[in-house]
Amino acid sequence: MIFIMAWRNIWRNKVRSIVIMLSVAIGLFAGIGMLALYKGMLRSRVRTVIDAETGHIQIHNPEFKKDFHPAYVLPNSNELLKSIRSFSGVKLAAPRSIVQGMLVTTTGSSGVTINGVVPELEYKLSKLKEKLIEGEGFHTDKKNEVIIGKKLADKMKLHLNSKLVLTFTDTADNIVSGAFRVSSIYQSNNAPLDEVNVYVPLETLNELLLTGNSFHEVAILLNNDDDLQMVQNQLKTKYSFLLIETWKDISPETELMVKTIDDYSYIILIIILFALAFGIINTMLMSVLERTKEIGMMEALGTSRKRIFLLILLETIFLTVAGTPLGLLVAYFLINYYQTAGIDLSGMGKEMMASFGYSTTIYPSFPSEKLGGVLLLIVSTAIVSCILPAMKALRLQPVEALRR
Amino acid sequence: MNTTVIDAHNISKVYNPKTIPVHAVNEVHLHINKGEFTALVGPSGSGKTTLLNLIGGLDRPDKGNIFINGTDITKLTAGELISFRLHNIGFVFQSFNLIPVLTAKENAEFIMLLQGVKRKERERRMMQLFKDIGLEDKMDVRPEKLSGGQQQRVAIARALASKPQFILADEPTANLDSASASNLLDNMAKLNKEENMTFIFSTHDQRVIERARRVITLVDGKISSDTAVVPTTEIQTGQVTS
Repeated sequence: MIFIMAWRNIWRNKVRSIVIMLSVAIGLFAGIGMLALYKGMLRSRVRTVIDAETGHIQIHNPEFKKDFHPAYVLPNSNELLKSIRSFSGVKLAAPRSIVQGMLVTTTGSSGVTINGVVPELEYKLSKLKEKLIEGEGFHTDKKNEVIIGKKLADKMKLHLNSKLVLTFTDTADNIVSGAFRVSSIYQSNNAPLDEVNVYVPLETLNELLLTGNSFHEVAILLNNDDDLQMVQNQLKTKYSFLLIETWKDISPETELMVKTIDDYSYIILIIILFALAFGIINTMLMSVLERTKEIGMMEALGTSRKRIFLLILLETIFLTVAGTPLGLLVAYFLINYYQTAGIDLSGMGKEMMASFGYSTTIYPSFPSEKLGGVLLLIVSTAIVSCILPAMKALRLQPVEALRR
Repeated sequence: MNTTVIDAHNISKVYNPKTIPVHAVNEVHLHINKGEFTALVGPSGSGKTTLLNLIGGLDRPDKGNIFINGTDITKLTAGELISFRLHNIGFVFQSFNLIPVLTAKENAEFIMLLQGVKRKERERRMMQLFKDIGLEDKMDVRPEKLSGGQQQRVAIARALASKPQFILADEPTANLDSASASNLLDNMAKLNKEENMTFIFSTHDQRVIERARRVITLVDGKISSDTAVVPTTEIQTGQVTS
């Protein structure tokens, strides 16, 4: 009967209760919406890292990563590439030759990372072609073409067909230079990378580096994100002498962001609920003060203090939880809509978003895995909110309460 | 043989002891047996309600002891006192004090739920009690839809539901019209007679005093007279046997 009483009590002042329920619903919607936005942003960022920057896994000669000397190619590169492609779960494996160098034009120079790539494979692996904003990519009949990022093009005042010279050291530590013509300009969601990464055909770069058919990196895309650890372990077992890293190892800041954003979003949700708690406390205090005589009478009749506490606790929980389904439903439907339609945040500054490696269109994702935690937080809010009103009720002496 | 239900020894209650002391109850001795139908009367401020609160364990005396069926309730802790009230004392208040969100039946049943009485037994007693108070057709009605007299009868059903040792009624007819008061008193007298239920009223109401078998008059917190009487109603209907 305490349950029935608690439920009926919250409807004694309908307007007041509905205002609190709506506050909880709006607060919850805001909290869930924010979690969904973060989840969407992170998912997008992780996808960008995997699909457009690093791939799922990269394999290098362990010495290569120490100082990026071009001599440290992958041993038996082509056999290795063939073997990797035969691993279960591997969707695509693409070779890359990589060297640090200088991009020189008539107006200046800039340090760059020169990526020698197989165009058709790179288009699929890092979606390079999709990122092109000018030009058609590499032409099969032309060897000395380079694709540069928009940020670098703007900085060096380069355009399509502009000439430039790439200078770097070869495997024998000789300084070599090659003249290239800009065939295309790309723009990704990561402006800092656009400023330093340039792409040339693998064969052209290898000729200059004197690496023959060898290369420095194999970038791998998997069919399924969940196979990451399994494939890495298999590769490590077979190629223990190579450096085999996942995107989490290569881009630890992204992994860290995934972990910390979760904590931040909970903190923000707690702040929202903390603010709501004051409204709930106020409502419950008013409710208790209005019923002083009734509560005193209940105690006079023999209702234990434990039961009176339970009554106040249940009323607070009902009041808090009653708004929850509404908040969740509105959040669910709106998030599902924007998960398909996307939210355009370009108004916040495309440059700024790109400088942090984020797309300007965010596709929020309903954080169903966090619902348990969110509901736990709501119930905790109710429990914390009930303490003050309950203490007020428990301090009542029946004889004094009945006199009022 | 008379069974003692209430035995109060030398009880006193002083309000504002450090400023302007008010001796609400002053060294009162009171002895009430099972089945008595007692009215506590006296002018306003004479200590009727305070004495009732002390006997009912709602307040603690500053001095003296109160034994209910042999238990000294002045020695009980707050929690023990709540439990003691639940199992031994029925209350009827001046302003009914029914729980507005519960129906008449739920209000009366509430006490039995607190006592842990089984559903079947609760149902049986509810039917009997509402029949006794003549409100079988109002069991599922909330208090706001009942008249003052009906609400007070539900309050009596609630007080009786716990099978108490005695019922304390503080000005039970104060907010009732004549017909309702008369009807209520009939109900109480019937329960007193048929079930030997002990009733103690605090009242100014002459209608209640006329029904009482014992009238205790309080003046300035002291008992000024304690008289066994023959209720006027019994004289009028020729029920006097002695």
